[in-house]
Amino acid sequence: MFLSLARIIKFSIEDIYRNIWLSLVTVILLILALFSINMLLVVKVIGQAAVEAVKEKIDINLFLKNESKEDEILALKGEISALKEVKSVTYISKEEAMANFIDKHKDNPEILQALRELGNNPLAPILVIKPANLDILDNLINRLNTISNDIIESRNFTNYKMLLNKINDITNKVSDAGLVLSAIFVLITVLVVFNSIRVAIYTHRREIMIMRLVGASHWFIQMPYLLSGVFYTLIGVLSIMGIFYLFLTLLQPYLEAFFVGYNVNLLEYFYGNVFTIFGVQFLGVALINILASLLAVRKYSRV
Amino acid sequence: MIRFQNVYKLYPKNVAALNNLSTHILPGEFVSIVGQSGTGKTTMVKALIGEEKVDKGRIIVGGWDITNIGQREIPVLRRQIGVIFQDFKLLPKKTLFENVAFAMQVCGGHPKKIKKIIPHVMKIVGLETKADRYPQEVSGGEQQRTAIARALVHRPKILLADEPTGNLDSLNANEIIELLLRINKFGTTIILVTHNREIVNRLKRRVITLENGTIISDQSIGKYVL
Repeated sequence: MFLSLARIIKFSIEDIYRNIWLSLVTVILLILALFSINMLLVVKVIGQAAVEAVKEKIDINLFLKNESKEDEILALKGEISALKEVKSVTYISKEEAMANFIDKHKDNPEILQALRELGNNPLAPILVIKPANLDILDNLINRLNTISNDIIESRNFTNYKMLLNKINDITNKVSDAGLVLSAIFVLITVLVVFNSIRVAIYTHRREIMIMRLVGASHWFIQMPYLLSGVFYTLIGVLSIMGIFYLFLTLLQPYLEAFFVGYNVNLLEYFYGNVFTIFGVQFLGVALINILASLLAVRKYSRV
Repeated sequence: MIRFQNVYKLYPKNVAALNNLSTHILPGEFVSIVGQSGTGKTTMVKALIGEEKVDKGRIIVGGWDITNIGQREIPVLRRQIGVIFQDFKLLPKKTLFENVAFAMQVCGGHPKKIKKIIPHVMKIVGLETKADRYPQEVSGGEQQRTAIARALVHRPKILLADEPTGNLDSLNANEIIELLLRINKFGTTIILVTHNREIVNRLKRRVITLENGTIISDQSIGKYVL
């Protein structure tokens, strides 16, 4: 059994080697297919990171009148905190708002000068409201709009939901395009693998004929070609692991620069899920290649 | 050993390759099957190794009814019947030794067994000194001897020789026939399909003559009658 298996592996490697250029083309197409599949994953991870980044930033500012009294503000804070749509409410006093403003613009002497010339604190106290759940953001905005209190100066309800939808929409569109591209590559790969096995069988038609003549089993005759499909997949997946490592290493600095302050580490993500990501890809593509090889072997190995 | 019972084989357009063919070949016999082209000789050979299914009748080899043999059983049958052809069917990139060893390798033969058996078989066919040569480096007769060696590695009870001398000059042809006779002496049943009148007449063994897929003559010490 082991002896036969060793011979099957040897014959399979010989098949690949004897048609080396065809084997190379097959593996390159496989790598392209795998690259597009992995790019889909990258887009998905970046999209999720972008959505999380936006979610982090989502809060609703309720600007209060300058002359508002502290107890009135705290009463309003309590009223809003009690809403089930609210996760937290932070009160930023005039003084804190000013301190934040100065800190934010500490490198801009013109703004600081203008502030000094103004002579007083023009900033209003604010209630910063974090929503409990983004899905019910609209409900929260409606509830806040119904609150009637004289100390409320203005309500800034930026439409974050539209922004989130936009990011999701772009991510989905890129994923869909990538999916179509991957499907095309997978289809091409299947056809190329099918053709490679067909050519390998044609190259070995004399051997196959002699094998049949001297009583080799069908299993022994067909297995090397099926195994070739697995070898193509193995070489393809190992190559894409190396190529993708390089690609992510080059991409990571740009991602970090883009998502400043957020932990978007694709390398870490791929490291953490290396066996799942590439294991599933190996199994999936190997299965497709075995089926393509099986079709070719069934059709052409009856020499 | 081999029994054909009322065997019919029709090819498209109702061309009868075998037409109610019945015969019985005993163990250890040396039988020549002769006939003009298209009389069904090769169909008989193909039916015997399971390459062609017959339409009617029964074929029994060593007590085994192979008429409706399954795909999985064909390799088992072929290890019991050695076959050689006019065109030798050797692999040009393998030495004579490797060509013979190939037959054992693809059937799961252990390397130690291969190393033990091949030199012995090469000696039987008289190629022990040329085992490391490639087919194109030896004569046609030696290539056919290699094919015979390959057919013998599984120690078959039957050796089918389909026009084995067709590509050889008379000297080499005679050597091959001598070799087949020697193998026959060991007890192997030999079925020789041939057009060669001189060889058949010189053999003085059983001759079955086919015409239009039917046996028209079966003589125990026969001659080429066509």
